[in-house]
Amino acid sequence: MKITKAGYHGILLPDLNIGFDYSGTDTQYTFISHAHADHMPRNRKSSVYCTPNTLKLMQRRGYKGDATIMDFGDSFETEKARITLYQAGHILGSAMVYVESDEGSLLYTGDYRTPPSPASEGFSIPDQVDHFITEATFGLPIYKWDSHENLGQEIRSFASKSLKYGYTPIFLAYNLGKAQEVMHLLAPLGQQVQIHGAGYKMCDVYEEAGIDLGNYESYDRDTCEGNILITTNSALNNGFASNVQKKRIAYCSGWATREAARSQLTVHKLIPLSDHLDFFELIRLCEEFDPQKVHITHTPNADVVQHYLDERNIDSRFLDMEIEEDD
Amino acid sequence: MAENSFQQLAEIAQQINETRSTNAKISCCAQYFQSFEDDKNLKLGAQFLGEGAFSSVSGKRATIGSRTYSTCAAEFCDIDYEKVFKPCKTALGSASEAIEKLMNNIEVARKKREPAQLSLREIKSIYEDIYNVSSRADKQHILRNAWKQMTPVEIKFFIRIMTRGSLRIGFEVKSVVSALAEAFGKNVEEVRYAHMITGSIGKTAILCKNDNLDEATFKLFHPLSFMLASPIESRAVENLDGYIAEEKFNGMRAQAHISGQQVELYSRDLNDITHSFPEIVQFFIKRNLSDVVLDGEICVFKNDEILPFQLLQKRMGRKKPGKEIIEKYPVLFISYDLLYHDNRPIFEKELRKRRNLLTKLSQNHDLPITNQFEVTDRDHLDELFDRALAHGNEGLMLKKVDSTYEYGQRRKSWLKVKKPGGTLDTVMMYAHAGSGKRGGYYSDFTLGIRVAEDERYEEEFIPIGKAYGGYTDEEMKRLNKRIKDLTVEKYGPTLGLIPEIVIELEFDDIQENKRTKANYSLRLPRFKAIRWDLNPDDADTLKDVEHMYQQKISRERLKQEENPSFYIESLDLETTRDDKG
Repeated sequence: MKITKAGYHGILLPDLNIGFDYSGTDTQYTFISHAHADHMPRNRKSSVYCTPNTLKLMQRRGYKGDATIMDFGDSFETEKARITLYQAGHILGSAMVYVESDEGSLLYTGDYRTPPSPASEGFSIPDQVDHFITEATFGLPIYKWDSHENLGQEIRSFASKSLKYGYTPIFLAYNLGKAQEVMHLLAPLGQQVQIHGAGYKMCDVYEEAGIDLGNYESYDRDTCEGNILITTNSALNNGFASNVQKKRIAYCSGWATREAARSQLTVHKLIPLSDHLDFFELIRLCEEFDPQKVHITHTPNADVVQHYLDERNIDSRFLDMEIEEDD
Repeated sequence: MAENSFQQLAEIAQQINETRSTNAKISCCAQYFQSFEDDKNLKLGAQFLGEGAFSSVSGKRATIGSRTYSTCAAEFCDIDYEKVFKPCKTALGSASEAIEKLMNNIEVARKKREPAQLSLREIKSIYEDIYNVSSRADKQHILRNAWKQMTPVEIKFFIRIMTRGSLRIGFEVKSVVSALAEAFGKNVEEVRYAHMITGSIGKTAILCKNDNLDEATFKLFHPLSFMLASPIESRAVENLDGYIAEEKFNGMRAQAHISGQQVELYSRDLNDITHSFPEIVQFFIKRNLSDVVLDGEICVFKNDEILPFQLLQKRMGRKKPGKEIIEKYPVLFISYDLLYHDNRPIFEKELRKRRNLLTKLSQNHDLPITNQFEVTDRDHLDELFDRALAHGNEGLMLKKVDSTYEYGQRRKSWLKVKKPGGTLDTVMMYAHAGSGKRGGYYSDFTLGIRVAEDERYEEEFIPIGKAYGGYTDEEMKRLNKRIKDLTVEKYGPTLGLIPEIVIELEFDDIQENKRTKANYSLRLPRFKAIRWDLNPDDADTLKDVEHMYQQKISRERLKQEENPSFYIESLDLETTRDDKG
């Protein structure tokens, strides 16, 4: 099957007239995996296929183009292929695209996580895959995630301990996906949460999807002290809660595995909560599919993943794509 | 958890790391120190947190290279060292952190490990075992067996303590001293004093616990940490009243402990260097001195001239110099401070008083000592500075006359006034992944000079030095962005770059170095400026470097006859005189 890169953004199946996370308008069928900036179409003339939640989130983030809604599990037939979306477990609405054609089957993962984020629709996979186009953001064996149960416990305990000692807890979390996941994990505490405006406008989409985000409101500088705050690192550097003297900051990201993040971001706590799958899950999944070929994208460490796949006699190649460090 | 277990120490270290405020870190450590019943365990606990596997004065080092323990860890985890371990290390900016994570994540490694709650004493004896073997295979054998009984966090700190690098928990020896003071209700200055006298944080801990700090006394032939100078530009010193000036020699700082016929010399890192300089030993023996400790500088001195550092280098690191080399590069110990005299340490006395005693000693025993100059005003200072340079010296030292000898400190009682050795416009050839705080960034850079028109080379550029400082965080980020576009090759943590970025490099000195492609290396190279305005064709050439070196080495040096840099009653320096030697 012919698989090509469209510059640093997007992947094309030229023979099937299909594009994934592609901004061009020359493909007939463009599928958008999820609403993060490095996957969203950048063209207002785009006409794309995506899940209803992805469309809502994209529109909150300024998407002006057209979209055809597809639900998980529903199939859609083109002249040459049949397409089905599977839950990717990355953020709300995130989907993996499964393509069946005469040339075999293909699964494009976009970004994904298994076990799935508790603030997503879950995770599911097709039985058989010939070409597995997978992200490998955390493609090193130093990355292995703890269970959501333990991570949730860590998040709640950081928040309650900080509050108990008179500190305002601040979670640094990407404003779409990670922020809502942290809120969902905090919800059992029943504490008031304030979230930065860019993340706030995504929240009702989550609630409509039945995901409990607890008690929250938009960040207000004058009243934020003593609440649990959620924001991004860049906002924190630009005056977010700078009027609060006593605060404790936790960084929630897969990159929080790196001890160096502690001093680079000046945070008190590193919580390796990722919305990508870890290295071991990635290798396990490749083994489970045992596809004709694994096409690796979105990673600085394709060599390492390929080395592990070579050892398992799984054919692979690297499709060099830009990764978004913000996780 | 077993009391006095290494696991407990590792967890305390981790907790200190996760605590931000210095006071809270100190309290955490102080509580740990208080928990010890047994003196020996306290000694080990303090030593591991503050000093390393062995006490500094023991002279022992568990010498083990990063490659030795890294390949051992890769093998333990059953992963490929080049293909898997190195990228992990690069991503984290730390080999020991990578090992901790891999030991935790990889099933093969987990199955091999059965944490045994090793005691501090058991860890100490493992370090002894490593010290006692020399081959890589033997060392790795010991490591493997030790790791089998440890948790990942223990393994991480076991490595960091062993390699005597920083524990990277934002807690250096100064904080350990404060923690001891807090734990046992002592005055920090008293604890610091005891630490400097004993040279051992472990012994200091026991003295604190048993209320015996006053037992800490200075002993001859136990080196004392050196007092260090700050660059004058780094300290806002407006007023030079109360400072005297001395010429700053470009030699090797050393401490001489002398008791009659017994003489020992120590380097700045407190290593015994006596054997490298037999004529200094002879020189002192002939002087018939009672017990003294001198602080000073070893310089090559011949025909009334202090010769360049480049020549002293021929003597450094030689265990047993031959007769020929001694005659060719005779050295002299020029004293500038007296730390022990008349059977007691005098570093608590003011410089003025120490100097008076030193002067008398010099007169009575023919010891060379630096000349001191009163500084009248800035113009006078400039004059003295120029003369120091004319003597071939580095510049001036300014010392506060009422200061005590602040061993181990770098404050503003001593200031150094130096002129940079020079600058070169160089081209960035390689970028190396940083570690620790700079993990995740490329922060060390190999810089090259142009040899494109040099018939001796086929390359366009060859390396001249590696620099990792002199730029701001912002500049480093901008460089990292640019580097991304210029990368053509990747060798583990190193990127090969298209030569394009021009760096104006400042350095202290140029030295010959046959092991490098250029045959020269730079002393203390650092960024002066990133020259976004220049392109690689503007870079300096090897010929420029050679020219600078020749100028430095053959520069006329002012003889010591007039306005000398140092003073000696009768210049009867038999070993340093060419005509007599």
